[in-house]
Amino acid sequence: MFGPRIDGHNGIALVPSTLEHFKLHMSWMLQPETDRFWGPRFGEMTDEKQEERFKKTGEDQTQIQWSIAYQDEPVGFAGIFDIDWVRRDGESGIFIGRHDLYGRGIASEAIRLRTDFAWRELRLHRVHNWIAHANRGSRRANEKVGYTQMGLFRRSFFRSGEWYDEWLGEAYPHTFPDQR
Amino acid sequence: MALGGTIRGKKTTLRLPIEADLEMYNRWIADMRVRRAHRVWHEPAMPATWKERFKEIAKDKQNVLWSIDAGGSLVGFALGHLWTMGNGFDVNQLVIDPDEWRKGYGFDAALALHRYVFDYLDLRLATFELRADNGAALKIVTKLGHTEFAHGHEVDYRDGAYVDEIKLRMDKETWHERWSAEREYPPLAADATR
Repeated sequence: MFGPRIDGHNGIALVPSTLEHFKLHMSWMLQPETDRFWGPRFGEMTDEKQEERFKKTGEDQTQIQWSIAYQDEPVGFAGIFDIDWVRRDGESGIFIGRHDLYGRGIASEAIRLRTDFAWRELRLHRVHNWIAHANRGSRRANEKVGYTQMGLFRRSFFRSGEWYDEWLGEAYPHTFPDQR
Repeated sequence: MALGGTIRGKKTTLRLPIEADLEMYNRWIADMRVRRAHRVWHEPAMPATWKERFKEIAKDKQNVLWSIDAGGSLVGFALGHLWTMGNGFDVNQLVIDPDEWRKGYGFDAALALHRYVFDYLDLRLATFELRADNGAALKIVTKLGHTEFAHGHEVDYRDGAYVDEIKLRMDKETWHERWSAEREYPPLAADATR
């Protein structure tokens, strides 16, 4: 499923993804600047495959996906995936595809909007995620909206001669700060 | 692609699953003793639905399914996920018929599966996710050499309450320290490559 439009601060919004956004994902996800904490920077990156992914995402009842808009331009995507509606738990994720816009607080605001939606609209009980431990910006953005560490997965992946650990976080409605 | 072949333990054998096994899978998943202990792989369903699921798993490139036999009878199944980059293996299901519990089949099948993961596939690590109150399963994986790397709070819901979840991992180094005598094959003879 795609999530509804949610307007946040500073020109940042979550908007329902379109096929055009999905086609942008391909070029975003193949850049070394955006892929330090992702991977593997290859895949079936064709228009046909993106159309198939778009259709599947739209039909999937276990995920909510948005594109992130900054000043009305798509710049990344965010979502809650693998939602188990009995446990009321899902895995959250975010990706900023425009690396020239890093440092403007776009991810922080998108994460705040996404997490607020999880509690107020989806009535989830818990969300959780895995973040590269060295990705301090992403970790901090998640901590600001109530994620706390539940574990550390050491030596998760290898880049440029070093092992990278992953930080495992979880958040609940009662850990979300009152920001109104 | 992803139906597993034979892996022999001392009491159990993991082997290629067949359609005739599906009725027992369905029965176990419908058993509240199993559901209390594990997350379910699929909900109970009619035979045609299980056949569809079976076709899907057979084509899946990263999930591998085995049936588990003991004494010539089907006693369980195992399902694991091979990481995209191919260096880790998540054991997602290791279900033993509740009428066959406390006979050592779970540990034996788990040990055989880990031998395959480390000694045959040469993977870097294996993981488990277990409910925090599943003492029997935690005992098995701890004995194997798994250690906790994460503790999720109020993750699974069953029997009217949430229960925590423990994530555990075992690395290849631990396998070699603890289970170096466990091998798929004996060492090559000195003159084997002459």
